[in-house]
Amino acid sequence: MFKQLRHISMALAVAALVAAACGAPTPSASSSPGASPSAGGAASTLVIDRDTSDLISLDPAVLYEFSAVFATHNVYETLVKFEGTDLTTPKPGLATSWDIKDAGSNWDITFKLKSGVKFASGNPLTADDVVYSVQRAIKLNKSPAFLFTDIAGLKAESIKATDPTTVVVTMPKTSSTQTFLIILTFTIGGVVDSKELKTKETAGDFGSAYLLDHSAGSGPFSVDHWTKNTEVLLKANPNSATKPSLSAVLFKHVPEPTNQQFALEKGDIDIANDLGSEQIAALQGKAGVTTTSADSLLLVYVGMNAMFKPLDNVKVREALRTAVDYDGIVKNLLKGNGKKVQGIVPKGLAGYNESTPFQADVAKAKSLLQEAGQTNISLEFLVPTGSAPGGVAWSDLAAKLKSDWAAIGVTVNIKQTATAELLATYRAQKGQLVMINWGPDYPDPGANVNPFTDYKAKSISFRNGWDDPIATKAHEAELISDPAKRVAAYKEITDYVLHNGPYVVLYQPAELFGLRSNVKGFNWSSIGWAELASVTK
Amino acid sequence: MRFLGFLTRRIVGIAAVMVGVSIITFAISHVIPADPVAAALGDHATDQQIEAFRAEYHLDRPLPEQYLTYVTGLARGDLGRSIRTRRPVSDDLFDSFPATIELSLAALLVAIVVGIPAGVWSAISRGRLPDHLVRLLSLIGGSIPVFWLGLIVIGLFYYQLGWLPGGARIDTFVTPPPTRTGLYIVDSLIAGDLEAFRSSLLHLVLPALTLGYFSTAVIARMTRSSMLEVLGQDYMRTARAKGLQERLIILRHGLRNALIPTVTILGLTFGSLLSGAVLTETIFSWPGLGRYATAAAIALDFPAVLGVTLLAAIVYPIGNLVVDIAYFWLDPRTQRG
Repeated sequence: MFKQLRHISMALAVAALVAAACGAPTPSASSSPGASPSAGGAASTLVIDRDTSDLISLDPAVLYEFSAVFATHNVYETLVKFEGTDLTTPKPGLATSWDIKDAGSNWDITFKLKSGVKFASGNPLTADDVVYSVQRAIKLNKSPAFLFTDIAGLKAESIKATDPTTVVVTMPKTSSTQTFLIILTFTIGGVVDSKELKTKETAGDFGSAYLLDHSAGSGPFSVDHWTKNTEVLLKANPNSATKPSLSAVLFKHVPEPTNQQFALEKGDIDIANDLGSEQIAALQGKAGVTTTSADSLLLVYVGMNAMFKPLDNVKVREALRTAVDYDGIVKNLLKGNGKKVQGIVPKGLAGYNESTPFQADVAKAKSLLQEAGQTNISLEFLVPTGSAPGGVAWSDLAAKLKSDWAAIGVTVNIKQTATAELLATYRAQKGQLVMINWGPDYPDPGANVNPFTDYKAKSISFRNGWDDPIATKAHEAELISDPAKRVAAYKEITDYVLHNGPYVVLYQPAELFGLRSNVKGFNWSSIGWAELASVTK
Repeated sequence: MRFLGFLTRRIVGIAAVMVGVSIITFAISHVIPADPVAAALGDHATDQQIEAFRAEYHLDRPLPEQYLTYVTGLARGDLGRSIRTRRPVSDDLFDSFPATIELSLAALLVAIVVGIPAGVWSAISRGRLPDHLVRLLSLIGGSIPVFWLGLIVIGLFYYQLGWLPGGARIDTFVTPPPTRTGLYIVDSLIAGDLEAFRSSLLHLVLPALTLGYFSTAVIARMTRSSMLEVLGQDYMRTARAKGLQERLIILRHGLRNALIPTVTILGLTFGSLLSGAVLTETIFSWPGLGRYATAAAIALDFPAVLGVTLLAAIVYPIGNLVVDIAYFWLDPRTQRG
């Protein structure tokens, strides 16, 4: 009897100990006022759930991944920048003005720097820091370096400081000054603290090992820490001229959209970054939650390989474009999470062509096929696995196209394969019809028009066996300095590709976000970031 | 002495298994039709970038030479560099393994603490309600997909009831304990941080239950059947004839003998928990090896896939080794060889 009592009392003691350690089961910690100081306190910390598995580095000269671009855009400042969600006109950033001068065989661009800017370390930002940052990116030669070296045609010696507030960049005339300004708005244009980084250099790495998970910028936030596979914490930079109302921003690595949705509804996070149409639908009408969407810069398209008959016939390609029910795709499959865009430049970029002349015209498509003398067409249709941008399954999209094309007597055999395998076939010009998406490397029409038109670039037009003289015009357009004339030139090119190119551009997907109702000022830019300094909660 | 010989033989066996696993995994990951270069560099890569990448990862060399390079690196403790994270695979494994160990040990604990008593209870109540109940729950546990169960428990205990956290290892605003073992529960106790202990313990409950349910079911069924066999043995009748207490008969004479097959299963279970962690970790945003393996497989990151496989290849035989050592304690006949 006593023995039994002793066992029971021991069990009770253990239970009491565990209960004391556990306390009341309140999982929602974000509402707890006694938040960890490392996160800056729950009340003024913005918590964003996002799949951050793409993170490789937070160094602006190394990173080229979506999550890193979003985070570090708020950590580093650039000479020129886009304001808000506009991606067409670069505005002054660290440079108050710039002057483009014809120097004979080159362009000379002179940037005058803003005075009084300080890095998070307290060091003043000077022209030497700008020179160091650009040279560093070129010399490190990591993923984004091609933007400076290949697109802008820069070498390390192309940039110099003429005084502490003046930087001169010498560019070859084979590159576009407009494109260069746009590249400067991207994270690779982020200016780093050269004095601080020189103290962190190891084995000539320009401080890259340090910047992997630290920062040395002048933006409104600094990197506090990056715990791999778990979180990135940004803290407000007290030396920044921009004073954010948030004390910190926490990017939590949560790959499952359903978990993001649950956490948002429970109030454990402020923003869910990777929601699909299913989660957005589930969030409608829920208390304390709002949803928003923004254009991405992606285009989902079908490439028609002109090396395969009868796709070499421009009328057959036009027939395939004409037969597709674009409105049905946007309305029924995407459920509105995308828009009908048929040109090769997405909405949001300069040079976007609003023309959408195609919409399920079966009679016209059939007559085009008759004119081409083609009545019995059978083609292989390569389709990736998983979900397409905008949240629809690639297979559903493929089935819809198959049915649209069947209506005009074109049979396609869908072959679904992993993206990596599909790309290998596509690159080797071995696909007949290939469905995939494309996003520009930098927010300039040239980043789409060149790959879609220039066969020699061995990109999209090469993969579809389309070698057309329009490529010359595309390169000429890229080099035009006057923005208005440039847009006009691109309009002409995109109109031509719309009817002659080997592409069926299906739609431009939207990006979907769930937000707590108290989060204000979150405006997503299509290039892949939001200015977190203007966000309040 | 006999034990030392046994241990040596097992360790040599483990080394042989690892060589075999490395050859098979290497071969599979290099002959699949998908191209890791396309997966790593994507749609925009130029021919020069592709060539440079092939050279960096020795993909331009003949397959036997690639394997030789890999094995030479292995001998130096170099598992190669991950294509996806661009970090040494050994660093990635070192970062993510403790989270998986913590989760798997917790799931194993659930399986032992719940599975064995349930099996015993079921056996001694054969044909009655507790037996039916345990058998039904075991049947469900053995057949329910872990990802589905994970979503259901998150939906119920986190989303609907709000009793437990739905993902991650610790609350957003609780600072993780300083790393000693990498196991948050242990590290927070070492640091004397009760808040971190409470938070990490609560965060462990749902994933451990989800991951452990299948193993619990298997162990309960195994314990039940071996217990039933033992209960009918002559020595049990003798024990009862000697007038021993029923509780002592069941625990000391019955369970100890019935545990031998269960222990065998436990060793295998630990290995299967690691593979089960792949799905559980993804659902619960658990930053462990399973999620690392998933991301690596999707990205065709073959150095990482090889690293994870080799690690699993060590853990399985180590699990079995622990089981064999447990035999020495449980079954005196094995000590005599």
